[in-house]
Amino acid sequence: MSPVGECITAFIFGSVVGLLVQRSRFCNTAALRDAMLFKTYRNTKALLVAMMILTLGFTTFLTFGDGKPLHFDVGLNQVMGLFLFGIGMVLAGACTVSTWVKAGEGNIGAVWALLFTFIGMFLFSLLWSFSYWPPAPGTMSGEPNLAGLQLGYANAATLQEKTGIPAVVFGLVQFAVLLAIYRAIRRKETAAEHAKAPAGQGAGAASAGAVASRND
Amino acid sequence: MELFKKTLDPVVALVIIAVLDIFMFLTIGAWTVGGGETMMTGLIAQLFLGDELSRIPFWELVFPPDPGYWKIYISLGMLFGALVGAIMSKEFYWRFPRHLSEWVMITVGGLLMGIGIRLAFVCNVSTFFGLTPEMNLGGYLAVSGILAGAWVGSLVYKKVLEG
Repeated sequence: MSPVGECITAFIFGSVVGLLVQRSRFCNTAALRDAMLFKTYRNTKALLVAMMILTLGFTTFLTFGDGKPLHFDVGLNQVMGLFLFGIGMVLAGACTVSTWVKAGEGNIGAVWALLFTFIGMFLFSLLWSFSYWPPAPGTMSGEPNLAGLQLGYANAATLQEKTGIPAVVFGLVQFAVLLAIYRAIRRKETAAEHAKAPAGQGAGAASAGAVASRND
Repeated sequence: MELFKKTLDPVVALVIIAVLDIFMFLTIGAWTVGGGETMMTGLIAQLFLGDELSRIPFWELVFPPDPGYWKIYISLGMLFGALVGAIMSKEFYWRFPRHLSEWVMITVGGLLMGIGIRLAFVCNVSTFFGLTPEMNLGGYLAVSGILAGAWVGSLVYKKVLEG
């Protein structure tokens, strides 16, 4: 695809995402924060369902060598970086998606968060220029580089190469794990609804509660 | 139109996004946000610093500013789509954080997000919607980091809310 085509495709994809996220109030931050803080799982369930579909989709195509997976060595910087990011997104009340979506709704707080995300990136670029760590993706080899705290590179496609087992088989395993988490959340929700429903009309109230929670 | 009257179930929204993301993965690459934001940072910095910017190695070696980088347009699209959604459903209005504590939290939060994205080379979107579904090792590392971070963040958030 031509570079212009790529940009147009990306813009259309982004527009659909922005519209759907705005209309559904989905938020990645809320998916993690609400589950931990308030024990509500509206967004967490949506995140898990998306991950299940993507796992099957991506690993099926990886099996045939299709698709454009991300290629770079990974290491402890991923844990540290996303740890800082996790604190940041809860404090800012928005993740990378919801800052853009909330900005589109006229939320000045989200615009402010975005501005400081840019400033944070620029500050890190100065720091990186002194240390050259973590290594830039272009210089990475795919092999473990323990001096750079990089563990190399692996995904379903490389597992397929090493073991000869189709990538989609690994995908099915991950799908099952995600499904188990999803079902555990559903069980927890049903139990909470049962506890709330008054004795005597248990079954009817619980099923009504289940419908209500699906519509929330 | 029904879409602009009622709130959409996030599961429905995310199923559609996931299917579209698979098409993106096949043609240009999976949905990410952090890379596009970094490129925007570079372009904005270039506006202010001009050619001086290339003296900072990061912008020379890792992210040479390029307005043709496709990931920028995902973010701009999200802004546009949300604006359309908000206007069509009459939900667009200016909102400002009320308290100083909110401004401080958002400022610190934004900075941490920016630093975190660059340190990790990935954002939360590429973690949950790209790397982990590809079963990339980095996805699992990033998920463990973001869970721990969100937990610590929630503790701080709760303290600030209550205090």
